[in-house]
This record gives sequence, structure tokens and C-alpha cells, in this order.
Amino acid sequence: MNLFLSKEDLIRWLDALLRQRVLVAPVRVQGLILLQPVSKVAEVTLDFGNTTLSPKGWFLPPMETLFSVQSNDGQQKLVPTTIEKDAVIFGLRPCDARGIALIDRPLLREPSDALYRERRARTSLIGLSCRQAQPECFCTSMGSAPNDPSHVDILLTEIDNGYILQVITEKGRALLSESFAEYKGTLPKPPEPGAVPTKEVVPAVKKLFDDPYWERLADRCLHCNICAYVCPTCYCFDVRDYSDKGSVERIRGWDSCQSPGFSRIAGGYNPRVTKGARLRQRFAHKLLYFPERFKDVACVGCGRCVRSCPVNIDIREVLRDLQQLEVKSGS
Amino acid sequence: MNSQYQPKIIGFLCNWCSYAGADMAGTSRMSYEPNIRIIRVPCSGRVNPLLVLKCFQQGADGVLISGCHPGDCHYNEGNYHTRRRFALLRDFLDYLGIARDRLWVEWVSASEGQRFAQMVSNFTKELAELGPRSES
Amino acid sequence: MDSELIQQIRSEASYLLKDGTVKCVIGYERASDGLTSRPFFAYEPAAVERLIFDETCTHNLVRYLLDKKREKVAIVVKPCDSRAINLLLNEAQIKRHMVFIIGVTCSGVMETSCNDKGQALQARCQTCQMTKPLVYDFLVEQKLVERPEGEPYLDIQEIETKPIAARRAFWSEQFGRCIRCYACRQVCPGCYCPDCFVEQLDPLWVGIRIAPKENELWQITRAFHLAGRCIGCNECERVCPVDIPLGRLNRKLEKEVKELFTFQAGLSPEEQPPFATFKKEETLGFEE
Repeated sequence: MNLFLSKEDLIRWLDALLRQRVLVAPVRVQGLILLQPVSKVAEVTLDFGNTTLSPKGWFLPPMETLFSVQSNDGQQKLVPTTIEKDAVIFGLRPCDARGIALIDRPLLREPSDALYRERRARTSLIGLSCRQAQPECFCTSMGSAPNDPSHVDILLTEIDNGYILQVITEKGRALLSESFAEYKGTLPKPPEPGAVPTKEVVPAVKKLFDDPYWERLADRCLHCNICAYVCPTCYCFDVRDYSDKGSVERIRGWDSCQSPGFSRIAGGYNPRVTKGARLRQRFAHKLLYFPERFKDVACVGCGRCVRSCPVNIDIREVLRDLQQLEVKSGS
Repeated sequence: MNSQYQPKIIGFLCNWCSYAGADMAGTSRMSYEPNIRIIRVPCSGRVNPLLVLKCFQQGADGVLISGCHPGDCHYNEGNYHTRRRFALLRDFLDYLGIARDRLWVEWVSASEGQRFAQMVSNFTKELAELGPRSES
Repeated sequence: MDSELIQQIRSEASYLLKDGTVKCVIGYERASDGLTSRPFFAYEPAAVERLIFDETCTHNLVRYLLDKKREKVAIVVKPCDSRAINLLLNEAQIKRHMVFIIGVTCSGVMETSCNDKGQALQARCQTCQMTKPLVYDFLVEQKLVERPEGEPYLDIQEIETKPIAARRAFWSEQFGRCIRCYACRQVCPGCYCPDCFVEQLDPLWVGIRIAPKENELWQITRAFHLAGRCIGCNECERVCPVDIPLGRLNRKLEKEVKELFTFQAGLSPEEQPPFATFKKEETLGFEE
């Protein structure tokens, strides 16, 4: 049974959720849409395409303390990081929900990542279908859709006078503190984002590993970390210990294979010293290594990298180019 | 002056002139406020702006850089570079919200013990008026 | 789009590649959105057909010269970009005979961010008075549009006149959004240290921690390392994914360097950078 919420119902419901949990929602900050904990429902923006950074930052933060060791009077005490409150993410687009489900595969596989696992268990996901596709979106080519209910606990679909609510999981049902009216109508037709061919991409990447395509594409790459940081399915991180006056903090932070020193090892040798090798790594990981181990390609078609790349390295173009090159090379 | 708030000052003193001057203040039993912690450097030109930033971030309310008088640098030119570097940094930090009066650059020679003591005393008093760095 | 201008660039590029004068021509091509542009590297004469030049060509291509030091290349530069070439020549990072400069006259570049595509002249162009590159081997001239002489530092003054606590709060909020992607550093022609200070482990100035203090240290120090060197292309601000107003940091230092040392970066390949020199008699506010 689908439910109907007016805008007032929605605000009241979010307010109720805010009392018991951390409410993480899209907030307009200067020209950006950032997903962050809010203290009042009024801070939430309901009018947005997608957030600038992906929701992976809630489960795998840009920086977190894994644990610290405090030193007092010669005694050492290990202080683990604890998750204080349950949380709910509101406004999660279906592509991003799929992104979280994809990174679950490496991070929850035994032995699972403890903090990630706990955050996942204690966070509920309220998805929001897309009314419009952005020019850079291509989710339907990557296994998702603007109204895909998989991977969320509740899916909201905006219509002219309110929201249709679909309960997807029991975890989602537990979020409903009041009963809402039934919605008897049909769900609206979702928008149609641009399509990108992906049929032969996995074998194409494998075949074209040594192709000069990568070095040429990488000519304009700046090797900043933007693509990896905005991406919902990039999950590389670095772990370092920081000591200060006797206490030590173990920090985990985002890292990117694009960074020039990413694969540099002691002694100074770098197996990916060329720009082409580094750029190829990101695409090979998403389009070859990840699907070889975890079945699906690690891209959800959210378009963030396309929007944010300062030099317009466009994964949709790469997908087309790779498949065309493979055809040309006479597969 | 708020007797409860004690400003923390970090002083970078060049070995040849200002550190010796501070030493002279000590041997002559001149008293001055104890709020300053001194770090000896070979030359005021050695002071990296990053060090100054770190000082402010770690809790310093004021930073003093003291070197030989221009023209008398033990390494000939070091303090000329100090002068340019910190003239700019002082303006920049002010723009970023760290008051320019928290960064002092003073020239103190090895024989100017009295001057050093007076200068530290003045700096401490002014910082006490300004208040803690974290609040302004 | 000025097709005569583009033809001139293409034919010069073709000529340079055909006779082997250069291995590569670094210019611009149309981006995947069909509206904006992106850097393009032409290695074969046939590839020059992809070269374009219009008011969306915002990128400072000089940064790529640092990746192509081993071969002679040609590069398309706007007046601001040519200052970056002078900077790199001055700092001995590139050799003049290894670069063939195709200079283009310019009266400004349009905003290319998603919200303002093609709507307005970029802020940095609104106060720029340059129309011709300072150094070039081949000049391509286009019809220029008159730009009013604007006050260059109004947005800096706006911050300068805030009370100190408000300045502190403003910058804390801006630096708080930094995710340390280092795009600002990577896009900058002036940031070419093989081991940036943030990669240093001993002393550990910044490390990998993304937190207010570390972000602040990163931003302030990078700006300071560019004092007297930043040529004002504002690419750092354009590429920042979280919209930190980096121009308001770098141009503050540009303003102070101009006032204190009457110096501007990139005007000549032989000038004395302000921090490599000094005047014995200057006091700069530090009394004797």
C-alpha cells in the first residue's frame, strides 16, 4: 500500500524523526547542495538536483578517528570511536542508494569494516525519486533508475501537491510514527536520463589496458582528487597515526588513486608514475576489477564527476570510446 | 589588565643578536613578564611562516620574531628577507582574522638587554588588552 | 565564435606539426556538453580540426608545460596565461626555445559554472586591462570588446572593512568546507613543487587530517607560497568543488605585494621576484 503525504505532513514527520535521530538532509550552502546533519527541518532544501558530494561521506567520512590512545600518568587507555545516535538520511537519490549498496560489497565483506558496518546498521535511508534528470545523468545505463526503490528503506516520489511514500523495508516501516492517508493513484512516469552503451565495457577495458588511449586522455587530467571524492562508489582511504603530547589518534581519510603519490612506495618507486597509468587505474577499477570481483560495474551514472571535473574528463565519453576502440581492434 | 588571563607568547630569537640580548637581560637580573617562551634560531630569516601559523593554531596569543638590526645580520642578508616576509604575513593574517598586533618583529642587538625586557613587557601588556587569540 | 580566428590557430598548428617544429599543440576543443571547452592536445596535423577558441576557453594551459618539458610544444595563450609563461621562465621551470607560443588577443572569458554558463564575464576578466599576450611567437588577433576600467579590489575591501571577529568567522566557514582535493594546487602553474609541503612527513605540517586547523593551514600557506607569484588566472577558484573564494585570498596578497613592493608577477621573464630580493633602506613598518 502506498501512502500520501502533504508537504506539511512531510515536515511534521521529519521533525518527529529529528527528535530521536540525527537527520541528515540536503542543505543549500552558498551555491552548493551539501548533505549534512540539520538542527531544524527548515534547513532542509527540497528543491535540488543532487548533492555536490555523495552520501558515501556519511558512512565513510572524509576524515574520522578510528580510535585514540590517551596517556595519563603513565597509563594508556584505548578510546574507540562510538556512534552516538541512530541516523536517517533524507533525500537520497536512487543512484546514490545504489552507490552505497555497491561499496557495501567490499566494505561489509568479512572481515567487515567495523565503523562502516555500524553506521550502515544504525542509519535508515529515505530515498527521493528524481522528477527531472540532469544533463549529466545516465543512471538507467548503469543499473539504476530515477525511481528505483532498491537499496532504500522508504522511497518518496514528489507529485504536484505532496509526496507518495512507498515503504520498502521493515527498517523503513519503523520510521513511520503516524499513519498517513493511502495513495490510490499510479506512480508518475520517471524522467529519462541520457543513455550510454555499456554492453561490452568490461572486456573492452581488459583488452585495451596497454592502449595509448589512456596516456592521451590523461594529458589534460590534473590529477586532483575531485572525481574520486565526489563519486558515490570510490572508497579508497589512507590511515595514519597522529601523536600529540603522548596521546595518539589513528585517522582514516579519503585518498584517491589519481594523486601522484598514491602508489609511491618506500624507496621512491612508483608503479603508476605516468599520468596515463593513474587515470587508467580509476576506470579499470570501476569498469573491470570491481565487476570481476563484485559482479557489477562500480558506477551509478550520477554524473557528479562529469559536472565537477575541471577539464571535462567524461566517463560517458570514455565508455563510448572504449567500446568503439574494441570494435575497431577487431574483437 | 585582566589578572586571570595570561597571554602566551612564542618568541623566535636569532642566536647572534636577540637571543644574546635576552640572555643579557637575564644576567643583569632585569625582570620582565614570564609569558614568553623562547625558541633560538640561527637567524630571524630562518623563521618559516608555517611555524608562525602553527604557533597561533596551537594556542599562542602572540608571536615575536626578533633578529639583528638590519645591516648587522650575522649572515649579512637574513633579516632583510625576514622583514619582507613578515611585513606581508602580518597584513595577511590580519585579513584572515588574526590581529596584526599579535605578530611583532623587533630588532634587538646583543647589548640591548634592557630594550628586550621592555619590549617583552610591552608586548605582554598589549596582548592582555587584546584578549585570547581564540576569541578574537 | 570567430571562425577566422579559429582558422588562423588551426593553420598555424597544422604547419607546426607538419614540419615537426613541435611534437604537440596544446589548445582547446569543445567539451562534452557542447557549450564549454576543455584542453586539447593535438599530436597529428589532422587533429587540428578539433581546435577551437572562444569566450568559454577559461583554462590556463600553461600548467601543462610542466608535464611536457622533454619535447618542444606549441601552446595557445591568452594575455593572463602569458604572465604564467613569464613566471615559469623567470623561475627556470621551462625553456623559452622549447615553447612555441600562439598568443590570442582577448577581452574576457565567460563564466562556465553550471549555474552561469555563458551568462556573464568572469569576475577576474571584469577588472583586467590586458588585451594582448606579453610574450608570443605567433599572434592571432580577434575583435575586442571594450571593458570598463573596474575597481580591482572591491571584494577584498569588503572583507577588509569587516570587524576582525567577522573576518575570522568568514574564513573559518569558507575553509571549513575544504575537502583537500588539491585541485587548486594541481591546476595552478605556480604550484610545481615535486614534494608539496602537505606531503612532508617530517615535519608533519598538515598530513591527511581534514579538519578546520589543517584546512586553514593548507589554504593560508598555499596562498602565501604564491605571494608575488600568482598571476591572477583564478583557475583555482573555478575548479574548487566546494566554492571556496580562493581569488579573495590570492588577490589580497597581490594587492599587498603591489603596495609594499610595487611588484606584479609575470610581467617579464627577467624581473626580480620580491622575496628573492630586498632594499636595504626599506622599513616596511618595522621601526628600528
